[in-house]
Amino acid sequence: MHNHHDIGGAHSRRTLLKALVAGAAIGSLPLRTRAQRAELRWWTPQGAPAQLDAYRFQIAAFEALHPGVTVVLEPLSDEGYAPQLAAAFSSGQVPDVVTHLPSFSVQSYYAKGLVEPFDDVIEAIGPDDFYPGANDVFRAADGRHVACGIGNSAVNILWLRTDIMQRVGLERAPETWDEFRDALQKLQGRGIYGTALPYGRNTATSLVFIGFIHGAGGQVFTPDLEVAIDSEATRNALEFYREIRDFSPIGATNYSWGEGLTAFVSGATATGLYTGRVLANVNDQNPRLSDHITCALWPTMTRDIPPWTFNDFPSVFIPAQSGNKDLARRLAAFLFEPEGYIRQLHAAPGHVLPVLQSIGEDPRYRDNAIIRKYRKETDLMAQAAANGFNLGYESSAHRSNEKAGEVIASGAIADMVQRVVLNRENVDRVLADTTRAIAAVMAR
Amino acid sequence: MSRSPQALLERRYARLGLLLIAPTIVVFCAVIVYPLLAAIYLSLFQLYTPTLEGSFVGISNYRDLLARGEFWISLRNTLVWTVGTLSLQIVLGIGMALMLHQAVWFRSLARSLILFPYFVSTVVAVLVWRWLFNDLYGILNHMLIGSGVVDMPVDYLGSMPNAMISMILVGAWKYFPFVVIAVLARLQTIPDALYEAARIDGAGPIARFFDVTLPQLRDVLVVIILLRAIWDFKEFDLIFLLTGGGPVISTQTLPLLVYKEAFALNQMGMAAAYAVVMMAIMLVFMIVYIRQTREKEAS
Repeated sequence: MHNHHDIGGAHSRRTLLKALVAGAAIGSLPLRTRAQRAELRWWTPQGAPAQLDAYRFQIAAFEALHPGVTVVLEPLSDEGYAPQLAAAFSSGQVPDVVTHLPSFSVQSYYAKGLVEPFDDVIEAIGPDDFYPGANDVFRAADGRHVACGIGNSAVNILWLRTDIMQRVGLERAPETWDEFRDALQKLQGRGIYGTALPYGRNTATSLVFIGFIHGAGGQVFTPDLEVAIDSEATRNALEFYREIRDFSPIGATNYSWGEGLTAFVSGATATGLYTGRVLANVNDQNPRLSDHITCALWPTMTRDIPPWTFNDFPSVFIPAQSGNKDLARRLAAFLFEPEGYIRQLHAAPGHVLPVLQSIGEDPRYRDNAIIRKYRKETDLMAQAAANGFNLGYESSAHRSNEKAGEVIASGAIADMVQRVVLNRENVDRVLADTTRAIAAVMAR
Repeated sequence: MSRSPQALLERRYARLGLLLIAPTIVVFCAVIVYPLLAAIYLSLFQLYTPTLEGSFVGISNYRDLLARGEFWISLRNTLVWTVGTLSLQIVLGIGMALMLHQAVWFRSLARSLILFPYFVSTVVAVLVWRWLFNDLYGILNHMLIGSGVVDMPVDYLGSMPNAMISMILVGAWKYFPFVVIAVLARLQTIPDALYEAARIDGAGPIARFFDVTLPQLRDVLVVIILLRAIWDFKEFDLIFLLTGGGPVISTQTLPLLVYKEAFALNQMGMAAAYAVVMMAIMLVFMIVYIRQTREKEAS
């Protein structure tokens, strides 16, 4: 029985009332449009069915609190949100609230004046309730916040099948690349692949491979945002990524996030790379594996290199062209109201982790079948995500990179991986081309 | 000096003519001339897509794109895709139309069913094909491995030349019904007397096809090839959803490059330059094609 299913269905009068009472507390934000007919558009790339149910609960509660206001939910795709937003901004047909986009995308838009400062919403939610430093990644060069986190996410988590590990005599999760390669050799067989890493021409390949560069002790940019991808660490990462290619299914050359997740959840691979969504998906779609999975931090090249967890810092922000900014602020703050927020988190337990301390400690949040069953795993992911980074925020020493979203969208890093791993092109030439391509994006 | 009543009448008719043709000219300007001029105008700027703000750069976008290897590779891919899929569509379309022109059982049902790929949404069609091509769960690999043809699954979409071949095949499957409809309609109007005469002259089925059917289909095929070539040249959704232009840029066609510039790199000016060049290339091809067709007709 899965708790998130229990609460994801019809909205009871009691829970809706609770949400209304809590929502009324967000009265500190100005509302010029009270009792006015208005439509708010809410965009999100996180659109699994259980998540959509949770959003609809929040929308129903918000609409009940604001008669005449309608909230229209419009799910986006993980790979397609950047083009859709670019088209929306250029046409002026923007959504009023956008959630779950990576922090680096928001910084890019804010730098161009396309995003509204978010400090007053953070103030309404309660800045002290956020985990320490949770919103540092959203601080712009002008000192204001461009957004706030709506969750934390540990993306490059190593998922393992404990039953196969036991069968082949693997006692613990690999911690170094050598151990990982050895483990894959043992785990692959009997129709099961070692892992399912993305080698496609997509953002998944770019984002995953950035983790490998850091796992080799490298970085894409220096703290001053000079392009630093042409390094020994990247060469090592490319070589290793090529070495382990044969442990992924043959179609991995076209894999993105979804295919890798499905491969592990369906039991086609012995390990996988993904967020905590694996937990809910295994329990829902392939429960026979539910007692045979665990997770660990992604291995690094050597033990002296610390693990680098990729956290896309799912955000909530308000486009500057929104025609209903006051209402949008109220909706943004309302999304953190405990009743609805916990539903959101329970819709993908372990996948989107709480950013509010009061929620993390809330017994209602803890009271979830999956979180209870996989306490060790969810705690590990929460800790890893809290110390995580991404291309817009490569380390605590790095300046915020406003161009990170465009660097990812350019496909330069995925192209580099494909050219070296699939086409076996000369690494030096490819790295020189990649450096030029990234530098061109940075110079625009 | 007084004007003759006839001249007045003619002038009035001329004014009425202008008035009557005005709506057509307005619509033509709004939907053809304005977008065309706007694209050319945009292509002279460096513009950030979300804000459409930028600076005038003259023809530097055109200079840049012609100097880029990516443009020439994408152009080559576009030509390979267009020629490959169009040829298959024509061959399959004519073949199927000939079959459906015969008195076969369930002919009406078959004629309706054949349209299915053309009517089904591209997104749905691509999802179905991606599932069929899937390395772990796809029926195609399952059948190939089961029948012992291959030991390992075939990577249909992630390696070359498989990705281009798969793309061409799916494109042909999706769009050949258009050829079937047009050719079938024409087949039904070819007089039986021509076939009778050919039979009396001792022509077999193959000779009748080349000497009677094909010449009769000539006009309709000219139009089909023209239309389908334009549509295939600027095909976006099927290719984007099927391969995304990969591996690397091996299946990236010009429309995908326009999209990448406009919405991934946020360079609307450069994207407009690519679009204008695409249009120019298409125009040149079409002029050459129509001229050659006319010359053949004349000879």
